[in-house]
Amino acid sequence: MKRFFYILAVVSALAIIGTWVALGSNTGWTKTKVATVQVDPVTEIEFTEYREGFVPGIDFLGAGLVGSVVIFGVGFLLSKLTTKKTKL
Amino acid sequence: MTKRILTTLSAVAALASAHAADTTFDFKDPKGVNNVVFKLDAPLESINGTANGVSGTITFDPENPGAAKGKIVVQTSSLTVTNSVMQEHLQGPEWLNAAKNPEITFEITKISDVEKDGAKTEVDVTGNFTLNGITKEIKADAKVTYLPGKLGDRTGGKLQGDLLVIRSEFEIKRSDFGIKPGEYADKVSETIELHLSIAGSAPKK
Repeated sequence: MKRFFYILAVVSALAIIGTWVALGSNTGWTKTKVATVQVDPVTEIEFTEYREGFVPGIDFLGAGLVGSVVIFGVGFLLSKLTTKKTKL
Repeated sequence: MTKRILTTLSAVAALASAHAADTTFDFKDPKGVNNVVFKLDAPLESINGTANGVSGTITFDPENPGAAKGKIVVQTSSLTVTNSVMQEHLQGPEWLNAAKNPEITFEITKISDVEKDGAKTEVDVTGNFTLNGITKEIKADAKVTYLPGKLGDRTGGKLQGDLLVIRSEFEIKRSDFGIKPGEYADKVSETIELHLSIAGSAPKK
């Protein structure tokens, strides 16, 4: 059982890191809109256009890794409990 | 008698011509190009965003830029950041209270230090800036570019007329406008950097 939790913790940590890297390694907060800068050809004014999008930030990475550590911890506690029961 | 009439007529004509040179530019922009960029750089957090709900009018005479007057309005609800939760907080009652203070305005009271270079003019603008329901006088540098006959290029020929492009960068202190003075200084910078880039149009009738 503990092995299942350990593997789950590692897989979820890798998935979180992989998602964060694949979607741009954003070191700011998670973005729910993607900004694109455009230039008006006549006035040469730079302006920003927004579209809906998800760019995970360090809050996403941190929360995901904390979740993985919690899963790992559950596995560790279960293994301790199992060891105690076996000894009894 | 004839001489007096002619003098009066020429004076009226001169006045009329001087008045005609004043053109009112409308800054309401259906294309959403007109914008204000705001930047807050606090030790723990950097917040950047834009606002494109710009409107207002400015009366401008390319021969006498120092006489310009008018008011620019930005809809508070148009302030946008890339995180929707942060945007809700920004416009909510805790911060800018967009429902109570729907407009951010700047009204020109004085133009000084006019430096003209062809179509481009650099000026110092003094005016009343209203944010969060509080009005303070501020002074900012502005670059004004007069583009005669360029409105047609922007409207695909549907409208003919002139364009007036204004760019300005200035800073304000949020505490001056009652935005949580002295609070959250590590996450929300006390200084707000503003970059204004707007174009007004004056269609020919």
